[in-house]
Amino acid sequence: MRRCFRAVVLFSVLLSPLAVASAAGQEATREETVVIVVGQEPASPIPTLLGNSAANQEYTDLLFLPLARLGPNNITTGDKDFIPQLAKSWSRPDSLTLIFEIDSRARWHDGAPVTARDAALALNLARDSTVDPQRALLLQHIAEVTAPDDSHLVVRFSEAYDEQFYDAVYHVSPLPSHLVASVPRGTLAQSGFAAAPVGNGPYRWVRRIPGQQLELTANDAFFLGRPGPRRVLILSVRDPEARINLLLSGSADVLTNVGALADVTRVSADKRIRIIPVPSFSVGYLSFNQRDPADLERPHPILSDPAVRAAIIKALDRRAIVEATFGPWSAVPEGPVPQLSWIRDAAFRPAPADPVGARALLRAQGWTDSDGDGVLDKGGKPLALGLSYPSQSAPRGQMALQVQEQLRQVGVRIDINRLDGPVWSERRNRGNFDIDFASSTMDPSPAGIVQSWGCAGRGGANKTYYCDPKVDSLLGLALHAPRKEALALYRQTVRTIVADAPAVFLYAPTTPVAVSDRIRRVEIVPSAPWSALWKWAPGPSR
Amino acid sequence: MTRWLARRALQAVLTFAVVTVLLFVLMRLTPGDPLQRLEGDRQLSAEAAAALRHRFGIDQPLSTQFGDFLGGVVRGDLGVSIEHYPTKVSTLVLSRLPASLLLGGTVLLLTFGIGITLGVYQAVHRGRRLDHWLTNSSLALYAMPSFWLGLVLAWFFGIRLHLLPVAQMHDPLLGANASWLVRAGDVARHLILPAATLTAVSLAAVMRYQRTALLEVLRLDFVLAARARGLPERQVLWRHAWRNALFPVVGLLGLWLPILVTGSVFVEQVFNWPGLGSLAADAVSARDYPVILGTAMLVSAQVLLGGFLADVAYYALDPRVRGA
Amino acid sequence: MTGSLWRLLLRALTSPSGRLGAIVIALLTLFVFVAPWLLPDPSAMPDLVAGALPPGAGHPFGTDQLNRDILSRVVTGGQISLSVAGLAVLLAVTLGALVGGLAGFAGGWLDSALMRLVDGALAIPRLFILLMLVAVWEQMPLGALVLVLGATGWFATSRIVRGEVLRLRNAEFVLAATALGAGPGRIILRHLLPNVAGPLLVAATLGVGDVILLEAGLSYLGIGVRPPTPSWGSMILDARPLLTTAPWTSIFPGLAIAITVLAVNLFGDALRGALDPRSA
Repeated sequence: MRRCFRAVVLFSVLLSPLAVASAAGQEATREETVVIVVGQEPASPIPTLLGNSAANQEYTDLLFLPLARLGPNNITTGDKDFIPQLAKSWSRPDSLTLIFEIDSRARWHDGAPVTARDAALALNLARDSTVDPQRALLLQHIAEVTAPDDSHLVVRFSEAYDEQFYDAVYHVSPLPSHLVASVPRGTLAQSGFAAAPVGNGPYRWVRRIPGQQLELTANDAFFLGRPGPRRVLILSVRDPEARINLLLSGSADVLTNVGALADVTRVSADKRIRIIPVPSFSVGYLSFNQRDPADLERPHPILSDPAVRAAIIKALDRRAIVEATFGPWSAVPEGPVPQLSWIRDAAFRPAPADPVGARALLRAQGWTDSDGDGVLDKGGKPLALGLSYPSQSAPRGQMALQVQEQLRQVGVRIDINRLDGPVWSERRNRGNFDIDFASSTMDPSPAGIVQSWGCAGRGGANKTYYCDPKVDSLLGLALHAPRKEALALYRQTVRTIVADAPAVFLYAPTTPVAVSDRIRRVEIVPSAPWSALWKWAPGPSR
Repeated sequence: MTRWLARRALQAVLTFAVVTVLLFVLMRLTPGDPLQRLEGDRQLSAEAAAALRHRFGIDQPLSTQFGDFLGGVVRGDLGVSIEHYPTKVSTLVLSRLPASLLLGGTVLLLTFGIGITLGVYQAVHRGRRLDHWLTNSSLALYAMPSFWLGLVLAWFFGIRLHLLPVAQMHDPLLGANASWLVRAGDVARHLILPAATLTAVSLAAVMRYQRTALLEVLRLDFVLAARARGLPERQVLWRHAWRNALFPVVGLLGLWLPILVTGSVFVEQVFNWPGLGSLAADAVSARDYPVILGTAMLVSAQVLLGGFLADVAYYALDPRVRGA
Repeated sequence: MTGSLWRLLLRALTSPSGRLGAIVIALLTLFVFVAPWLLPDPSAMPDLVAGALPPGAGHPFGTDQLNRDILSRVVTGGQISLSVAGLAVLLAVTLGALVGGLAGFAGGWLDSALMRLVDGALAIPRLFILLMLVAVWEQMPLGALVLVLGATGWFATSRIVRGEVLRLRNAEFVLAATALGAGPGRIILRHLLPNVAGPLLVAATLGVGDVILLEAGLSYLGIGVRPPTPSWGSMILDARPLLTTAPWTSIFPGLAIAITVLAVNLFGDALRGALDPRSA
């Protein structure tokens, strides 16, 4: 026994310098580094070409600059409300053409100057529907992109409309033509360039450890200024608890989305951490399947009746649900309109719940409780609907329970289907649901409403197959109208959609971003969160 | 000796072949189309979707699929991940292997080292209070769910006392130019809690085995003879008795691997340790069939290899077995 | 057969730890299946605003984040966990006895083939087989979970049974029975099975502990028993965000698992000791 004891002591004595050494080695670099922890592994930063869903491409802003950025009001019409980035200035010879002048100071990370050819290449790749079908659809109004010389980019459109500038700059950022042009189009995803991208932004690529972290280092030759943080580490940690622990223990400086209200309260109790509310482009909604999940050719037996949908919406106290789940961290949207959208009506207040009116509506349609079990029925069939949501979203789970309870009180039975992410996604795509609880990040441009709520979107993002030709025509008109008229038209579109009751527009969240107190001059741009990270000033840990 | 070795090795390879078939069958029980989700989310063009189908072999008949699969296994190509497309499964699995081996190896060393020591102690002090206390506490730990114990330890040592790190394998802030000594120390610090959790829940079996085996040996005649010769008790114990009591424990080593691997799935999840266990758990959530398959194959190979090595050790140590 | 089993059980109860295990198991089973009548409804209305309350008046174990009484949920979760474990082990032991008995009795190529299969299946850690099956199944219902847990647990048992059958196949009393004209069925039922019953009972009891831990683990990963059905494992999963602010939400389900598994293991150990005194 004594021999063992001695061995243990010896072992610990040998190990202790390691512990001390490892502790000392950290302080030297922590000051200069900003560690961001995210939930989903960052997808490739190349803005086009990989057809990824919105999966975490925010750090693209660190590597690649766009021609111009959205201004503080996120206005997507006209040419004036944008902030120059790679494009120093722009001009308009006629209503179908835009000419950008590229800032001659801009350089790729390998030293080559950024030219108009780079911008032309990226735009043309994105317009190619065999490469990026999603973006090609968004850029369909662009007729031709050319670079007559190194510093001028000419974009010609097929029709005159107010969002030409937005389309030209927002969806895709220039790529280095001297590195990318030679790669065959179909193989870009597997190319060496995709594995180690060369950008022109404030940070350059160092390395990536798949499933764990991404490392970027400051680009001192950045033409807009010297970056403050010398190094940026992006950690991907699936488990929400572990993310918060990393933040609370000081190993991470920034947590992009703290999570549920309880977590926000917990984190804000720590004085060394600041929580910054960042309004988002997301809207969460309960969408009603207009088709019968059992036979997609036929309309839904219950939900195809607009009165039933309207009754369900009437019965819900959206404000109470949102406040109980998010506290102050969410608003109730007026329709498919996120907090940051420039068509948002700040004066909107959701109507209070009207369960009596809801019951009356249902009764008028023939739904009565003939068997006294508390659930309305008609012709022998109960008013029972399935509500599907992905299991990884705890807030949606909590809201689903409240929705279930509120609807129970008007006689509608809701069966909650908590599905694993991939299963939920698959069922959505197959149309196998009654009510689907989705949360989508919308485009800054209200024209993007067509994707989920226009007839043209059916088979794509429009999973419910809701179609009202009035909506499509209003959106078409709004696209070609000058801003003031466009605003009125968009608002009318939203009102039309809401009147059709294809969904319950439940929440428009504000993202709580947690940042360590040791970083000063923190600026987060809602439309491009990390685009201003290079201006931050990290200091020593307090 | 070589004939026995060859026979035993062949046995292991044959079993692995059976494993391959079993896993393939399990995988192909997939109802529906695993690629539909991939397409739906990413909105690939029709050509890209067809290429994906071909890559995953979905459009072939079952026998061709199995042939391709077997050929792939022999070549070391386990397919492409659905979730992390286009990363290869073998790349993912191999990248996680070192972390798994580090955790597994440490736990094995600790469990057997501490377990054997305590088991011997228990046998020597049989019936006394400490013996009972050790049995009871080790059984209590054995009964705890590993993930729960991990959470409790993480909370206590990591958050309450702020002594140890609670997530991942190393400090991401450690610069690329840190010396290997510093790195090693960093990994060691991160290893402590997950290894402690897994060791705690596994100790009971080893302790029990060693205690029983040693008690049995201590009853034997040659021990009595050694004592009668006047040898000091410590020598009797360690030089004579314990050597013989080690064999069943070595046998236990072979059985231990599956249990270790299973426990690691939960503990790696709790501590975000980047090993095969957390890879498998993540792959199940994401319904990433190729990765689950690849991980299961590698883990089974580990188990078979471990069993084989344990048998070799047994064979080499015990002259009585060689005669068999 | 029942006579020898009874004797085995009684012998197991002579050891203090065996007695303790048996008493705890009996109390637990009683409590878990009787108490629901005395406790508030575990699926009561979720109240997000009130949230998790510490143990106190009306809630001996406190409430969880949706203000549901934890004691009720632990009890209902216990019903689920114990039933799942019991049924799965029953299935596993039956399958193991059947396959092992068949292999041992038939011998020849069937025996080799079956044992090869068992070797292969034993090489894949049980959890991984379960993970693969869960991934394949879209949304596994509770019944399927029981089936799958049972179907993955019979391998080691079949080995044990096969060993016993092989050992006894050529024993005198079997030869005598055959000479007297007894068919294989009768031999198996009247002569072989009673001898296997003891080891089977031990394997079953210890297997219950394993299955409880496995099911809790799967529920913790989110792929076992699914909400709203309460399960000890998923309660611990839900309690993760509250670890620092409301530790009682994870302590009680964890303790429930530990105590149950400990009791089952103690009793199983005592059974094993009663079967083979040398291993005590």
